[in-house]
Amino acid sequence: MGAALVLRYLLRKSLGWLLMIVVATNLTYFVANFFLDPRANYLQLRPPRTPEQISRSLAQYNLSRDTPLLDRWWHWVSGIVLHWDWGYSPVGESVNSQISFRIGVSAQLVMGSLILSTLIGISLAVYTAARQYRFADRFAQGVSIVTLNTPVVVASLAVVLLAIAFNQSVGSTVLFVAGAQSPTVSGFWPLLLDRVRHLILPTISLTVISYAGTHLLQRSLLLDNINSDYVRLARAKGLTRQRAIRRHALRTSLIPVAITVAFAIPALFTGAVITETIFAWQGMGQYFVQTISKNDVHGAVAVAAFGALMTAIGAILADIAVVALDPRVRVS
Amino acid sequence: MTRSETGPATGPLLSVRNLAVSFPSEAGRVDAVRGVDFDLFPGRTLAIVGESGSGKSVTAMAVMGLLPEYASVTGSITLSSRQLLGLDDRQMSQVRGRNLGMIFQDPLSSLTPIFSVGQQIVEALEIHQNMDHDVAWKRAVELLDLVGIPHAAERARSFPHEFSGGMRQRVVIAIAMANDPQIIIADEPTTALDVTVQAQILDVLRLSQTETGAALIMITHDLGVVAGIADEVLVMYAGRPVERAPVDDLFTRPLMPYTIGLLGAVPRVDVAQRRPLVPIQGNPPLLVDLPPGCPFQPRCPVSVPRCGDREPDLAVVPDAVGGHSVACIRAHEIRYDGRNSCIDGRPVYPVPPVPDVPGARVPREQRPAVLQLTGVSKTFPLLKGAILKRRVGSVYAVSNVDLDIREGETLGLVGESGCGKTSTLLEIMNLRPPQHGSIRIAGVDVAQLRGRDTERQLRRKLQMVFQDPMGALDPRMTVFDILAEPLQAVGEADRAAIAARVDELMDLVGLNPEHSDRFPTAFSGGQRQRIAIARALATNPSLVVLDEPVSALDVSIQAGVINLLNELKAKLGLSYLFVAHDLSVVRHISDRVAVMYLGRIVEIGAVDEVFGGPQHPYTQALLSAIPVPDPMVERTRERIVLRGELPSPTDAGPGCRFVSRCPLYLTLDVAQQARCTGETPELTGRGDRDQQNACHFR
Amino acid sequence: MTTNLPPLQHTVSPVDSTLSQPLSPAEQRVVRRGERLSRRRLYTRRFLRNRGAVAGLVILILLVLFAVAGPLLTSYSYTDVDFTNLTAAPSSQHWFGTNGVGNDTFAQTVHGLQRSLIIGVVVSLLTTLIAAFVGAVAAYLGGTAEKAILGVVHFLLVVPSFLLLGLISQKAGGDWKVLILVLVMIGWTYGARVVYSLCTSLREREYVQAARFMGVGSLRIVLRHLVPNIGSLLIVSFTLGVVTTVQMETGLSFIGFGVKQPDVSLGSLLGDGANTITSAPWLFYFPATMLTLLTVSMALIGDGLRDALDPMSHSAGRA
Repeated sequence: MGAALVLRYLLRKSLGWLLMIVVATNLTYFVANFFLDPRANYLQLRPPRTPEQISRSLAQYNLSRDTPLLDRWWHWVSGIVLHWDWGYSPVGESVNSQISFRIGVSAQLVMGSLILSTLIGISLAVYTAARQYRFADRFAQGVSIVTLNTPVVVASLAVVLLAIAFNQSVGSTVLFVAGAQSPTVSGFWPLLLDRVRHLILPTISLTVISYAGTHLLQRSLLLDNINSDYVRLARAKGLTRQRAIRRHALRTSLIPVAITVAFAIPALFTGAVITETIFAWQGMGQYFVQTISKNDVHGAVAVAAFGALMTAIGAILADIAVVALDPRVRVS
Repeated sequence: MTRSETGPATGPLLSVRNLAVSFPSEAGRVDAVRGVDFDLFPGRTLAIVGESGSGKSVTAMAVMGLLPEYASVTGSITLSSRQLLGLDDRQMSQVRGRNLGMIFQDPLSSLTPIFSVGQQIVEALEIHQNMDHDVAWKRAVELLDLVGIPHAAERARSFPHEFSGGMRQRVVIAIAMANDPQIIIADEPTTALDVTVQAQILDVLRLSQTETGAALIMITHDLGVVAGIADEVLVMYAGRPVERAPVDDLFTRPLMPYTIGLLGAVPRVDVAQRRPLVPIQGNPPLLVDLPPGCPFQPRCPVSVPRCGDREPDLAVVPDAVGGHSVACIRAHEIRYDGRNSCIDGRPVYPVPPVPDVPGARVPREQRPAVLQLTGVSKTFPLLKGAILKRRVGSVYAVSNVDLDIREGETLGLVGESGCGKTSTLLEIMNLRPPQHGSIRIAGVDVAQLRGRDTERQLRRKLQMVFQDPMGALDPRMTVFDILAEPLQAVGEADRAAIAARVDELMDLVGLNPEHSDRFPTAFSGGQRQRIAIARALATNPSLVVLDEPVSALDVSIQAGVINLLNELKAKLGLSYLFVAHDLSVVRHISDRVAVMYLGRIVEIGAVDEVFGGPQHPYTQALLSAIPVPDPMVERTRERIVLRGELPSPTDAGPGCRFVSRCPLYLTLDVAQQARCTGETPELTGRGDRDQQNACHFR
Repeated sequence: MTTNLPPLQHTVSPVDSTLSQPLSPAEQRVVRRGERLSRRRLYTRRFLRNRGAVAGLVILILLVLFAVAGPLLTSYSYTDVDFTNLTAAPSSQHWFGTNGVGNDTFAQTVHGLQRSLIIGVVVSLLTTLIAAFVGAVAAYLGGTAEKAILGVVHFLLVVPSFLLLGLISQKAGGDWKVLILVLVMIGWTYGARVVYSLCTSLREREYVQAARFMGVGSLRIVLRHLVPNIGSLLIVSFTLGVVTTVQMETGLSFIGFGVKQPDVSLGSLLGDGANTITSAPWLFYFPATMLTLLTVSMALIGDGLRDALDPMSHSAGRA
């Protein structure tokens, strides 16, 4: 299959996803309008507002229940299509600015742990698969089963506790347990150091819970391949077992792992809710919690659209990974 | 490479002594190999023969040092007086590929899917030789060319999935011979291939042997292949060699009752005589806690109480020339009388009586047809691309097939994989009107079927037996439920009647009715196939469709199932449609045979006419490609080795589909060739014989 | 997903292995040798040989006993408030201490465990059943039904299920029964896809084909040949489904979208405990221990079951 064909294929696939995203997002708009009532945000305000006042305040953000739902929807849709304006929260924050800021925060958090957990998972799998059923394998597998199934909350809080103990034993706050950065630091190197000190703990806790999935998946794929005919042939050529595994079994079994990792990226972006909550990072996950608890219809719908987009990107990345890695698909 | 390490010319290259391999298992220690001795001399070919589980492949793996770590291996394996056993993986990897080359059974899974075949050969070269990459690549292309891959320079860049099975096996052979090894070990190298391709691969193997001067260890279950290629034969049974002899001796004067049984159980494609095959009773023993004594004793027709005392050693036969050894205490009593191996003047294996087929006396034309296909065609869309599926054409799987089966008759439908046998069979079994043509079963046109009830009535008359007896029996149902299922499907509800019928069926196929409460896993392969046959007979069908019913079974077991099918046919007046790729079996069981090529029948007729005097060039080539278990015949007969492999049937145009490989076509003049490519040949024949073929010039 | 779950973490073993059960030759021998070791005994034996799985089973049994018998051991109920002991450390009176309002942590943990167990088991049971039914029907019927069902499943992948989860359970005000409904609604799709792909390969099996050629009806084929042969898969996916559900429930309750006051689950207890992790760590330790024991033991059992039921498994190879 030539490059042009691949492009055409990806384009067609992308259009299909785009359609799905549009439908899903619009559906979410109505669902969110049904479940979330922005008026609630104004009811607690002192002095109390009259329903008319509330409605008027909300109307400027296209959230007033006095405007028919379809009209509000049309206004919202045309805002996006014409100005890429995703609307405002009930208290007037722009969704666009929130999201553009939060995506960066989430990316910092997610990318490091994604790379780390993939690398750790794959190397561990290669090491243990070649030693199947020996102590090292059984031990690593046991640890992976425990970390994989430890609830995220527990794992993250355990990391926090350990860090606090560490900080106390050192006598100063080396590792920050909250926030993405300190407000008072300036200068390039201090800033970088500050970022890293904030980043370490959440990255560790995300890595701890996610490396095991890659480890166990890659291990079982490798084991299937280690006993395959072509690894046997590679050994019959004169490769040692270790080299045959690394050169032949690993390369082949990386394909499904790459697909899984590609699919996992979007889930990580929207899925780091608990980690962001515990470490007080203002990322996408935390935004999702906030929009729902603050009846922010537009914000919630934007989160939904972002999630759907990420799913689509993951699926397309997985396709690209297959085309890049597997000659059976590439050439035909 | 220099051959300095070969040692004196007379000494053995490889010496295996008292090799034993065992594996731990759930049921206890499995002694897969129990004391193998052999010597392999430079340039010679040793065939190791045995049925599945006899330890032949494990022996090869032990020599290569490729057994899993948990296997325990004892004894001695010396290569040019260097002890291989006990070398670690790193040391052994120096030997593998350089001194020992290996070819595996399944070419489809032997090559790494993500590297080009050139890369894979280059890798083999670069492991052992300090070679420039460009030089290695050039050498790889040479090797590909040598093993007969057309356009080797371009094809070297292709990936394994772009090659057919036969071509991939050639690549594997190229890898095995890349470093001029002293020994090539081939583990069932042609079992997964079609016969015409098998013939080509055997030629390539011989070529690789002459090119490298290597000795060859050929592991196979196919006695025909052995007869054609081996110098010496080692027969294995239950993890031990039971007979070792030069190839001619073994075939003309077998001394171990097991070997005699094996040779008697093989149907031969070149023999017209329709006597029943001689099955070996029982099943091979389990290699866990073997009792003392000869492991073959429970199945041996001439065993005496003394056989149970201790396991006989492989001992040289005193009066034999050329080193014939056998492990049987009665071997010295066995004589060959010109027809059978005899003991005390009687054949070792009593020949079963020929079943009497009552219907056969009525002329064919007067018997009613149970199956009639007229002009049946079936096309599938041809899709291309793994993720981007587009229809790029049509596969003409079945084209304009006419055939009929009369009552009490067996029609063998033969051809290589992809020829349309299975598609034809599915067209019949589906009971749906075909895309073109008509199908009549027991006089009923399937296009006329209305409603479930009439379909059910027709299903009664038509049953099927599948290739893989394990896959065709639901592992979660008892044999009773399996046999009851077709009865319930046709509406039988009376529990007692079903129970009685199940007992009767078990009895009919030679199984103990008391075992019907067991699950299929409790039975051996041959017994499972008997269960599958019993199931097919449950509703008293008039036509049984048999899809490769014995190809998954070992030779000694296969003979029993073939005999059972013949008996049942005689007893119950059944008709069979017997689909198979093994022409020897077909010759043995069929009355008539139809040869398919790319969806068309190219020759059809009475089995002895077609096998005795094949007319169509394809039939001729197909028959000549089948190895015969007789070294004399193999050495003298002339073979037609077809070029190339089966193309896919995507060409809808007129003309003969065999032209691309036809040896006759090459001898024709231009006008005649134009007829071959321009006009589709019809089945025609002479009036006086039941034989028709679809060739313009035959 | 709200709980940071990598989506494919419990990848159910590949198509072929758990389907039909061709026993290894060694096991056939066991069966053939007279005493006819039954399938169930064989599975039990294999399961019991797996030390991790046995440990998991023991832990789970203890946890269930604790959840059932726990309320009998203490005089406090989970709603009782002891104003004399606010944020008290564990003592002989309050074994696990108390929280800031004066609730007995022991009583709350026992109740939370009950809640989490019930939610986990019920949701996993329902999702497994729905997934099995929908998947098998789609695979067996084929044609339009197949396309329609797959379409729905794919669409639900794009619809951000986590958002629906949040929206609905937020609205429901923490009622655990509504939470169960929502979790089931969202949870069945992945399982249905797995069952579907298994069944599509099963329907090509020769014994299914044989049954069809014998004239056995569709429903009967599904019930007699398809469903029994994915049985072991369903058992395993039920077990692992409990883990996934408990994790989901914990996550939701932790961020405040799941079980809410006055009801408690282990997740909501953790949510409270997180805020006082340095000042009153017992509020975190006890629920966290229970929760981890629950998910890890279930996962160990699931892994053990998968190995025991999987004929291709080599875990028993080194006998």
